[in-house]
Amino acid sequence: MRFTYKIWHFLFLLWLIILVIRFELLINIYELIIRWDILLFNDSETAFAQLNFDLADNIVSGKLFIILPVLFFLLRKKLSFLKEKFSYASLFLTLLIISFLFAPLLTNGNPDFYKNIGMTKLLPPFTSIKVLHFKKDEANKGNSPLEKFFASRDKVIKKSFDESIIYIDSISVGEKAIYYQNGIGKETEKENLVFINGKPFITGQMFLFGSDQFGRDIFTRLIYGARISLLVGFGSVNISLLIGLIFGFLAGYIGGIFDAIFSRITDMFLSFPIIFLVVLILALFGNSLVAVIGILGFAGWMSLFKIVKTEVLSIKDKNYFISARLLGLTKSQLLTREVLPVIIVPVVVNVIFLFGNVIIAESALSYLGLGLGDNYPSWGSMIQSGQEYLSSAWWMIFFPGITLIFTLLSANSFGILLNRKLNPRLQND
Amino acid sequence: MKNRTAKLLVKRIISSIIILFLIITFIFFLVRLSPGDPSQKFISPSLSPNLAEKVRESLNLNEPVHMQYIGFLTSVIQGDLGVSYNFRRDVISVIMDYLPFTLLFTTMSFILQMIISFVLAVKSVKKINGFFDRTLSKLTLFLYAAPVFVTGVFIVFIFSELLNLFPSSGLKSYDFQDYNFLDKILDYLKHLILPIITLSLAEIAIFYRYLRDNLEDVFNKLFVLNLRANGVFERDILFKHVIPNAINPLITIAGIELGIMLGGTLIVEVVFGLPGMGRLTIDSILTRDYPLVIGCSLAAGTLIILANLIADILKASLDRRILEGILR
Amino acid sequence: MGIRCNLSLKSLYLYTIFLYTFISLFVFIKQNNKLMLKLLKNIHNILPVIIKKLYLIILFCSLLFTGGCEKESPNRQNRVIIGISSDISSFNPLFAFSVDEGTISELLYLSLINFTWDEEKGNINPGPMLAKSWEWSEDSSSITFYLRDDVYWSDGKKFNAEDIVFSFDIYSDPDVQSRLYETFSDFYTDEKNHIDIEKTFEVSDSFKVKIKFLPNSTPTLSETVFHLIPKHIFKDIERKNIATSEANFNPVTNGPFILAGWDKTQSIRLKANKNSFLYKPDCIDELIFKIVPDYSSRVTQLKKKEIDLVELIKTEDIKGLQNEEYLKITPQIGREYDYVGWSNIDHELYKSSGKIKPHKLFGSPAVRRALTYAINRKEILDEYLLGYGQLAVGPISAIFKDAVDPDLKYYEYDLGKAKSLLDTEGWKDIDNNGILEKGNLEFKFKLYIPSGNPRRSYAATVIKNNLKQIGIDVAIETIELGVLIDNMYEKNMDSWMIGWYVPIPLNLKFSWYSDLKKNPYNFASYQNKEADQILDEISIETNPGKLNELYKKFQKIIYEDEPVTFLYWVDNIVAYNRKIENIDINPLGAIHHCWEWTVKEQ
Repeated sequence: MRFTYKIWHFLFLLWLIILVIRFELLINIYELIIRWDILLFNDSETAFAQLNFDLADNIVSGKLFIILPVLFFLLRKKLSFLKEKFSYASLFLTLLIISFLFAPLLTNGNPDFYKNIGMTKLLPPFTSIKVLHFKKDEANKGNSPLEKFFASRDKVIKKSFDESIIYIDSISVGEKAIYYQNGIGKETEKENLVFINGKPFITGQMFLFGSDQFGRDIFTRLIYGARISLLVGFGSVNISLLIGLIFGFLAGYIGGIFDAIFSRITDMFLSFPIIFLVVLILALFGNSLVAVIGILGFAGWMSLFKIVKTEVLSIKDKNYFISARLLGLTKSQLLTREVLPVIIVPVVVNVIFLFGNVIIAESALSYLGLGLGDNYPSWGSMIQSGQEYLSSAWWMIFFPGITLIFTLLSANSFGILLNRKLNPRLQND
Repeated sequence: MKNRTAKLLVKRIISSIIILFLIITFIFFLVRLSPGDPSQKFISPSLSPNLAEKVRESLNLNEPVHMQYIGFLTSVIQGDLGVSYNFRRDVISVIMDYLPFTLLFTTMSFILQMIISFVLAVKSVKKINGFFDRTLSKLTLFLYAAPVFVTGVFIVFIFSELLNLFPSSGLKSYDFQDYNFLDKILDYLKHLILPIITLSLAEIAIFYRYLRDNLEDVFNKLFVLNLRANGVFERDILFKHVIPNAINPLITIAGIELGIMLGGTLIVEVVFGLPGMGRLTIDSILTRDYPLVIGCSLAAGTLIILANLIADILKASLDRRILEGILR
Repeated sequence: MGIRCNLSLKSLYLYTIFLYTFISLFVFIKQNNKLMLKLLKNIHNILPVIIKKLYLIILFCSLLFTGGCEKESPNRQNRVIIGISSDISSFNPLFAFSVDEGTISELLYLSLINFTWDEEKGNINPGPMLAKSWEWSEDSSSITFYLRDDVYWSDGKKFNAEDIVFSFDIYSDPDVQSRLYETFSDFYTDEKNHIDIEKTFEVSDSFKVKIKFLPNSTPTLSETVFHLIPKHIFKDIERKNIATSEANFNPVTNGPFILAGWDKTQSIRLKANKNSFLYKPDCIDELIFKIVPDYSSRVTQLKKKEIDLVELIKTEDIKGLQNEEYLKITPQIGREYDYVGWSNIDHELYKSSGKIKPHKLFGSPAVRRALTYAINRKEILDEYLLGYGQLAVGPISAIFKDAVDPDLKYYEYDLGKAKSLLDTEGWKDIDNNGILEKGNLEFKFKLYIPSGNPRRSYAATVIKNNLKQIGIDVAIETIELGVLIDNMYEKNMDSWMIGWYVPIPLNLKFSWYSDLKKNPYNFASYQNKEADQILDEISIETNPGKLNELYKKFQKIIYEDEPVTFLYWVDNIVAYNRKIENIDINPLGAIHHCWEWTVKEQ
């Protein structure tokens, strides 16, 4: 019997890998969770004051790491998709979702972290740089729950800067310690360094996919960038869906003047090159995350509108619909119970293609200088900054570019797959 | 029949005019109500601080928006689109400088795309799921996924830098006016090949996929089986029966895509430095050249509507049922 | 005319033909494995197939042919091609608002005086141009110019004093809204700052003109220098229609170059004016400004020798360009600096009530100095600008050698000093959340930067990280340049980053004068009475020695107060083909005096 790889095999494998590689980090995270709970128990006000995005992120990732496998195991009968045959499209999509949820676990640093730009910028993939550790200021060794919490927190949450390390080429220890960066030597007292077995404590940092112009690790940025790109994708698609659905339903259901007006407006937006509207809005109102999601969402509702409208028109005169109406269902109930099941298939397929388009659109906007910029590590902005360094650092564009293309390919394959599975007309093949 | 087509045309023209009107109103208010204005070019330490204010006055920008709108409408109805702030010439003549190029460029690219995707799709469908079909499917998916600016830069790199075959930007060489007629055409061609290829690649991917899926759909229909059973030549089935049936959705898509392309193939123009409508519109937006922005939107909108109209007429003449549908 | 083909083309030809036949054969064989042997015997069956495909081969080859070969033009030798990023809107110097328009106006229209840059003094030296000589009156209230009599406009008419009077008239006319609108403060004018011709000019001779200035004003030579336009062309055009007149597009000029042709959006072609007194036979014949909007295309064309000179080269391209031995890279230094502006006053309060109170975060000079200590400017300079720039101490660039105070050293990157300064000002992180606070106020703000400028985006990222280390939370907002400038005027922002292009000769008043109503260019709203006094003294002082002393005093005050954080002076890197000789890249401009360039024989 040929062993077919199933999705859950792959998920389990990933779970194991993360467990092994990030074992220390996981222990620290659980310690942090416990300490925060203790703090919550003792002094809930401070606990909530300390709650910020990074803390919540790590806590949720840690908890999900345990909860999700358990959940999948318990519900394995119901979640039949886990038993699906494993394909490249699903591989990639799974990786994306894992990156979204477990970013702090997959990577071991802050996406904005950089130090000693001169040493670490524009490094090719698989380079490793020596890290010299200085003694940290250990003054705050208190015993109250709050202080224990701080100690634990500093071990887990990665900041975008670190004063206790620097990158070096090499070091020589005599009376004083002299370390070399880019061929230039600098002195420091031996007391400042951490010594183990009489030798200075030196670890190595590997830049898996290379580093960018600031010396930031590209692999980390790629994983965190998945969040932003997925957020932009889902956010704008949801907006398109909402607008298209509501308008389409109203236009089809009420008909008459409503239909005429909405159709004209839709035609107007279709007739006007939408990229100009996008550029116009972004150029004028700045390029915050919300603006980008909003305008991309606003640029895509037209096709959904048409689909919904035609379907509504076609079932409007059907018997079951009329009887539902006569029963006194409100418009929103009509929408959800009667119309939705009919339109779900073409809409979902269209939505998936739209998702792919939005992600491409975001990177195109970055090319024109109107995307999210360097604020967030999104793939589009990584490609945009990478363009300047095309001849010297091809990996800056290559990795986000490949991920972008694969995301699109998997989204499209997934759409086609879904279409084949759900579309009754083609099922006869 | 003639009555009906006439009715169709009239109905369409009226709704088109309404759409254009909505477009310019929307754009008019949008640009004026957003931050920034045309006088920002006149703000600089080497200029007097009052210059910007004087310019604003002379352009009537200090009046309330609805008054400006009324003034604008009255001049539009008389056919005057105003004077471009940047170019200091009237909007129509500025657009006429850029429009012919865009029209030429998009049409050439469009024809090329149609031919190539048609040939490729027919070839694939002859041997469905064969080697050719499968490779082409994967390749087109890849081309579709890769953004235009990536392929553009890549193509320039290979053909212009490495092989030094084609110029990397611009439309004419310096001694253009010294060339005779034939050389002028060759010169244009030389400058346009790379941009056309770049533009076409993504669209070929789209058209090819669409056409191929459609052809496959039609091939699977019963009437084809019927024709085969009757011993009709494969070639005739393809050209006389399948293609005419599959062509309708393609015409719709082609119309939409053509319209979009005519609106301005922005990125290609930027990469290759071509004097087209896309760049003109973007530049006018960024410099807040209000009359020109409206002029460009109007031009783009008109072209898109025209393209869609032509597509619809073509379809309607091919298929009576659609004609009925549109009229209803 | 000869035809020149790339040598590699022929080999490419053969290569592609072979490739194509190979591919066809391969596909053919794959499809018809069994028949292969059979067909080899029946070769005449294969021929039709090949012939059918022949037209494709021909098409393909013809495309290559058109691409690879080009006409050779005979007169390419004495020609220089400069790459610029955008087209100009008109040739009229009245409306030369952009840098390129200014450059081209200078080549087409002459002014009275020609300035050259004095490297030693760090200042400009006037020399004759349209004026053979000039003399100030005893009390400096008027100046007399003696004009050349051998200058002709391109339509044949002679240039004379009438053109000068007319130019002053039209430049100051408020209906024209020229580049020099309302800048004639030292002249006799009406209430709209339109020059009063009767009172100002005395034309006794076609080639002699006396200009009388406003009494008790301090006129300088530079105020009389701008590009003069021909009276006989423009006098009959209605003033408010000048901006759109045809004369702007087919200009009548008297400069060292005349307009040979303008391909809109493609190129501007100038050729040497043989009738000009500036003409020298061995200097360049043709100057072409090629419009290439995309920066990387410009660099590529520079490498392919399609363009001879490009300015504003980005630092990461320098290495690649230095490898080409026919290119020379020279920086033009000290004209532009980047800075981070801090709103010195509470701008919200000022907008609503007009009251001036220090800003809650940036009001104190100690805090501003701390911020400067905390930003690692050297790292940005070394890593992004690759050393092509200088760290900035104040608003006076190092090129003004006599005015710069050599004792002032720039603030080094020192987190310790920054932290202690902030601590003494009362900013502490009591709740240990990583952000400093003072009472109820957290040290958090938004930094606005203009879009489309990678250098400033880079600096912003570094600044954000640097300030985070000392407990200051900065959010970077990228907005369009026009919108940013709007906001600067309306004082809507806490902090912003932008550049400043300094004029020559030095003029500080408009950026630092406290009175915000009189001086809208004081974006940071810097308030200092002592500085105001010095600025006032500067504007009336004429003795260069005393002037430099005042400048030095002024710089010391700015150094202590640090109203904005001066980042660095950015070099304008110019790359050009070595075939251009006699070119001088100085602070006045790279294309300055290009009529003196010569082209080396190749």
